[in-house]
Amino acid sequence: MAAGLLALGEVFVVLAIAGAVALRVGLSVIPLYVVGGMLAGPFVAGRIGLPYVPNDELLTVLAEVGIVLLLFFLGLEFSLGRLLAARSKITRAGLIDVVVNLPLGVALGFALGWSFVEALLLGGIVYISSSAIVTKTLIDLGWIADEEAEPILGTLVFEDLFIAVYLAVVTSLVLGGSGGAVATGAGTEAVGGLGGVGRSLAVAFGFLGLLLVVVQYGTGFFVRVLDVSENEAFVLRALAVVVPVAGLALALGVSEAVAAFFVGMGFSTSGHRERIERQLTPVRDVFAAIFFFWIGVGTDPRLLGGVAVPLAAAVLLTTPSKVLSGYLGGRAYELSGRRSLRAGLGLVPRGEFSLVIAALAAGGSTPVMQETIPALAVGYVLVMSSLGTVLMQRSDAVAELAGRAWPHTKM
Amino acid sequence: MTVYESDLPGVGKKHEIDLPDGSQLVVVTHNEGRREVFLRPTPESDSEKLFELSDQLARQIGTILEGAYFQPVRSESIETLLGGDTLLEWVEVGADSPIADRTLGESDLRQETGASVVAIERDDEVIPSPGGETTVRAGDTLVIVGTRENCDAFEARVTGE
Repeated sequence: MAAGLLALGEVFVVLAIAGAVALRVGLSVIPLYVVGGMLAGPFVAGRIGLPYVPNDELLTVLAEVGIVLLLFFLGLEFSLGRLLAARSKITRAGLIDVVVNLPLGVALGFALGWSFVEALLLGGIVYISSSAIVTKTLIDLGWIADEEAEPILGTLVFEDLFIAVYLAVVTSLVLGGSGGAVATGAGTEAVGGLGGVGRSLAVAFGFLGLLLVVVQYGTGFFVRVLDVSENEAFVLRALAVVVPVAGLALALGVSEAVAAFFVGMGFSTSGHRERIERQLTPVRDVFAAIFFFWIGVGTDPRLLGGVAVPLAAAVLLTTPSKVLSGYLGGRAYELSGRRSLRAGLGLVPRGEFSLVIAALAAGGSTPVMQETIPALAVGYVLVMSSLGTVLMQRSDAVAELAGRAWPHTKM
Repeated sequence: MTVYESDLPGVGKKHEIDLPDGSQLVVVTHNEGRREVFLRPTPESDSEKLFELSDQLARQIGTILEGAYFQPVRSESIETLLGGDTLLEWVEVGADSPIADRTLGESDLRQETGASVVAIERDDEVIPSPGGETTVRAGDTLVIVGTRENCDAFEARVTGE
């Protein structure tokens, strides 16, 4: 008991220090929380004999709540009406984004000799931009008032919807595939694996379909359950809906993140959205910080050295690809070249969702999923979250460089 | 004057207001209540942040801008739309007004006009929620609530026309 409390105390001390450093150097908190976790975990602090934070069940469950709340908020903000209202622009920018970036990541996975599911995981990791980092940087730089904010935020809305479907499918592929392989012998692995995948896809879409029906027709429930004036009861009731549903999903082998996303969607039209955002944001931020820390705790820095080559390849390929797709997205919004370039730079940061996919991969059955992909994702997010923020801060210098490289393009 | 409203998913709402000199005022209202105000000198230029206000401060300053505390231009009637078609209106009681030196109960204006007196401004004082026994004096300003018809009828009674 005392050891657990002490370790949790260490978590909060490290997170507080990491947050202070982020504020000082003007970077996002996410990479610093991850590095904090890495340094305080068994692989660094543990190895040099300092008191370290073990990667135990307690930390894992708290981190899981972080994932659930991150996706819950995504669902809360997600509005189908908004997507439909601006569908032509959002869809065009969003499709360019997914068509350019997802296949590039999948191709990189194949080039590394990985299986389809492994490559698909890498595709998702390099595709999805970080809503948290991008939105915060937009506000910090004042871009939020200008036109480039629209294609950037529109693309994030499209990514949110895409990632919900993606997580539902990939969770089944990862968990179903491994369940099948364990249940059957090595000789019939392929057949058993396929059957397992089919079964778990059916369970996933059955459960999520049912949840979607509840969300669609259960507005009355979502309105009534939070109809209470005390803030404490309000927060507890919101958690009492989203956490058990996510837990049930995970117990069935369905993506808990997508379940949380749907519950968030249910609350988005209940009239409680703004109050949930006001009251639960601090709760989400605490658990999300623990999630990033936990990612760091589970990462052996020595493994980062092992993935240096694919990491460099991913960074060198997907930075320009995201700038390009964002630029074209800005053009789809009929912005000038300079503002379209900003839209491209604004989508470079990757963060929380790449790590959510990495956490999912870690539950897989192959060494690539268990070790290589999480290490690669951590290294990738550390680079891209910092690089993306810096590129946004230095957008004028980048525009000047681009102007020199393509003098005939009107900036 | 044209005001453009757009959604900022995950952030809040943006309002852009065209100003007479060709520049634009941009107000970003965050979901948590904070307001950021920017000025965009020309349509092509980047917005420059002017200031930032908390939710409460923004409302207070908004009321000052609206003229609820001080009206620089003397207008015939001062009124504020509360929503729907309900008005908040300020009515001065002249020296020759038929309701001067009578209590609110005696004048029975609410029954007659439909508008109610929610406060009386007298010199530097304000009498909130005055009752039927409160005497109205010449020089008072009555703050009344009602529909536009109610308020018009009320004003007609006060001026005695």
